[in-house]
Amino acid sequence: MKSLFMVGASVIGMVSGSAVLANQSADVLTNYANIAHAKYEDSLITARALNAAVDALIAAPSAETLGAAKEAWIAARVPYQQTEVYRFGNAIVDDWEGKVNAWPLDEGLIDYVDASYGGPTDDNEYAALNVIANSSFNLGGKTIDAAEITPALLEGDLHEADGVEANVATGYHAIEFLLWGQDLNGTEAGAGNRPWTDFANGDACTGGHCDRRAEYLKAATELLISDLEWMTAQWAEGGEARLAVVADETRGLSTILTGMGSLSYGEQAGERMRLGLMLNDPEEEHDCFSDNTHNSHFYDGKGIQNVYLGTYTRVNGELVSGASLSSLVAAKNADLDAEMRGKLDATMSALGALKDAADNGFAYDQMLARGNAEGEALIMAGVNGLVDQTRSIERVVQELKLDGIEVEGSDSLDNPSAVFE
Amino acid sequence: MKHLCVSLLLMSAATTAQSDPIDSALDTHILPRMEELSFTSRRLADVAAQDCTPTSADLRTAYGKAFDAWIAVSHLRFGPTETDNRAFAMAYWPDSKGFTPKALSALLRTSDPAIQTAEGFANVSIAARGFYAMEFLLYDPDLSVAGAPDYHCQLVQRVAQDIASTAETIHQDWNDTYATLLRTPGPDGLYRTEQEAKQELYKSLLTGLQLTADMRLGRPLGSFDRPRPKRAEARRSGRSLRHVELALTSMRDLAATLATDHPDIAARILQDFDQALERARTLDDPVFAGVASPKGRFKVESLQQLVQEVRTRIETELAPTLGVSAGFNSLDGD
Repeated sequence: MKSLFMVGASVIGMVSGSAVLANQSADVLTNYANIAHAKYEDSLITARALNAAVDALIAAPSAETLGAAKEAWIAARVPYQQTEVYRFGNAIVDDWEGKVNAWPLDEGLIDYVDASYGGPTDDNEYAALNVIANSSFNLGGKTIDAAEITPALLEGDLHEADGVEANVATGYHAIEFLLWGQDLNGTEAGAGNRPWTDFANGDACTGGHCDRRAEYLKAATELLISDLEWMTAQWAEGGEARLAVVADETRGLSTILTGMGSLSYGEQAGERMRLGLMLNDPEEEHDCFSDNTHNSHFYDGKGIQNVYLGTYTRVNGELVSGASLSSLVAAKNADLDAEMRGKLDATMSALGALKDAADNGFAYDQMLARGNAEGEALIMAGVNGLVDQTRSIERVVQELKLDGIEVEGSDSLDNPSAVFE
Repeated sequence: MKHLCVSLLLMSAATTAQSDPIDSALDTHILPRMEELSFTSRRLADVAAQDCTPTSADLRTAYGKAFDAWIAVSHLRFGPTETDNRAFAMAYWPDSKGFTPKALSALLRTSDPAIQTAEGFANVSIAARGFYAMEFLLYDPDLSVAGAPDYHCQLVQRVAQDIASTAETIHQDWNDTYATLLRTPGPDGLYRTEQEAKQELYKSLLTGLQLTADMRLGRPLGSFDRPRPKRAEARRSGRSLRHVELALTSMRDLAATLATDHPDIAARILQDFDQALERARTLDDPVFAGVASPKGRFKVESLQQLVQEVRTRIETELAPTLGVSAGFNSLDGD
């Protein structure tokens, strides 16, 4: 809920119309779509594994089955984060992703929260609704029957209830909250610590309404799977997202660069990394319940890089590779391609250092603490890398234009607002 | 929830420049305004040192002048304002999760000693710094009287000091280094070509217009069924509409400078700005409280539409003359 309007910078470039280059561009776009398909399919495969782990948790609640579900969630994030570079620029992804990866959330909508969370806010009347504890409630003047918690209820009534984006009822982060619970450690180490007994049967149940909590978790996981199935299909042969990208070379290449630049700059460097640091607020972490933020940042960066290089390693180790934007740029300006690759490398080593530090016990929460110079340096190195690579992305945009043979009848040039409607 | 608006457009190569819009933008637009910001911010700190009473007329006047000066440069979000997150330290807004009141309450409740030194204060949540935090301290019914009176006074003085020193650093950076970087692009420079330098200025203009339309006007508008008057910028001090006027006036000046070689285009752009400004002046709704009624809403929406028209004009007519594409800005996230 960062702002009312998501405004993606969209890069509409004029690209050479020469036949050779056109062929090459077409190959680049096909490979870009192939990689998208592989990434969404990997997200789906790992979400199904999560679903199996959730079933096991519900069937036999224990510390072990809860732990296994958490591990499955973390594994599912690896391919998904790498898809985020597809979000900006591909309208079909952008319109959809709010259901799957919306963040940050007012988690009191879903379940019980600590007293320090507070209640309804100026911005969100339903910040503490607690659907799990209430089988019927009033929402914007309408009585909602929530006796049964279903995907339809989450998707139809609860998600973005009252037009407030922080009312996140579906997707990875809703599931994350149900598995981990609130992280009450502030800027100390430690993730959310939901006891497995929150899913226990009968008298062993803690937190109240364990059956409804399980029902919510299952509904949200099923919904995630159906959403990922849908998106995977959009990138398959003949899928709408694929067709939109390959239909027009100029727009297709622009889409790739728009995704890379918008994710690098406004989204990741700005909203996700710098802001949390400036506010010293661990709730501004992207994966705040699970303390998985370092991985989230790392794989976002990785996704930007592998889209430029045209190579993606699947969760089963298979390689998806083909004509790359990198080779297209290199053919026109080898120095610029080297610069771009160098910048992406530099960002990845900064994000790698951040990930290593977190993996070795320096929690992302701690890095955000007031006056923690070492944490600040780690995060800012990532931010600076992302900001710096954005400049080079802008240069690539310019470069692809410079051979400028005008693209015929380009609506994108004459009537920019029509392009992404 | 998320609609892509195309905010940039590549155009064909620039026509030969007849004068240097970068020099004029620096000398007549950027540097004088940065000086004004630095001057009025220092004045605010001086006044606060004498009188920290939230209701003090002198203090509020000094605050208003410094805030005016900030709004007049608020579109210039690159270079010196971005180093060390200075722009956020001056102005953390929009604040959709209410971090500013939360951070201020926490400081006031605990009389947090971090505010005693400039270094200590530089490390507190950025939401507790700058003009929007000061607005809560001076105008919010609760926060203007919260905490121990002595501590409240110290906090007002610290926020004012912090604003002044940040403003001075920004101004100094512009004078000492950044103006030269922008003026003298080169293969090893931050800006490699004149086009990249112009693109930066152009981008700031578009970003400022986008912020004015989408945030300053769009946030209180909300949706027809759910207007959000409480989200109006700086409503506690009654400055919401004033900010729209100040921002438009300043961006009008920058646009005129950038379009100076193309009198016809300049005339059309200025006319668009003037229409929007005229609408703002006659709006008679200083904090957009009217968005809750159909009639009041219509007025604010029509102003928003006029701001969008300025932006479209600049994208379609000014951009080609500069040979620029817009690039990415901080509003690209969600």
